[in-house]
Amino acid sequence: MQKSVNKRLVNRPKNLNLFTIKLPINAVVSILHRVSGIGLFLSIPLILLALQYLVRSEADFIILISWLNTWFVKLVLIGLAWAFFHHFFAGIRHLLQDIHWMTSLNNARLSSRILLWLVGIATIIFAFVIW
Amino acid sequence: MLIQLLTKQYPGMRLWLSQRLTALMMAFYIIALIILLLITQPAGFTAWHAFISPVWFRLATLVFFMCLFIHAWLGVADVLQDYVFNKTLRATMQIGVDALLIAYLFWLMFILWNI
Repeated sequence: MQKSVNKRLVNRPKNLNLFTIKLPINAVVSILHRVSGIGLFLSIPLILLALQYLVRSEADFIILISWLNTWFVKLVLIGLAWAFFHHFFAGIRHLLQDIHWMTSLNNARLSSRILLWLVGIATIIFAFVIW
Repeated sequence: MLIQLLTKQYPGMRLWLSQRLTALMMAFYIIALIILLLITQPAGFTAWHAFISPVWFRLATLVFFMCLFIHAWLGVADVLQDYVFNKTLRATMQIGVDALLIAYLFWLMFILWNI
């Protein structure tokens, strides 16, 4: 008994290879909630700048529209839309879990799967609409 | 019990609740905004200007962004606590984020006042 325990200790991996770790789906949703939150935080000045150009004058409005029509800005917008949809839907999932809805492990996995599908579909629809 | 949890004794509960309440208010604003945009479909500068200029809309937008700044402050503070272990560096970064969010608030008020 003692010997097998020792052997296990000896054979234990000594370094942490991140590529051998597969995150469970709930962890994926969780870390993406965090990543999308940081992304949205970083986008606040862009949103304020867009709002400013939207309402300041007709000339600024035209500049804003011509910017929004470039493919690069459209790609950024799709990225932002993804971050928004993920943060929004994952946030609603969190609020529902706060009131004890779908909190068992299997239900949480199910809601994670539904969430990732919803985010993907919403982002694709957004991309089609703006392109 | 709930009231007791929200007293000074449990500061974490206040932060927790603030995060949820601001999230709910932002969600309502965004859903309402999307519905309004789908109904009115403003095109061109004049239409957008008319969409945004009512005082109630500007006030709602101000409240939305205040919720956003509180929500962002709570979220970024959590992230910094999790990943930045050096206390001095973390405090400095936190002050930077605080200053940034306050500057954003003034910027937003400037935009909304000058419509």
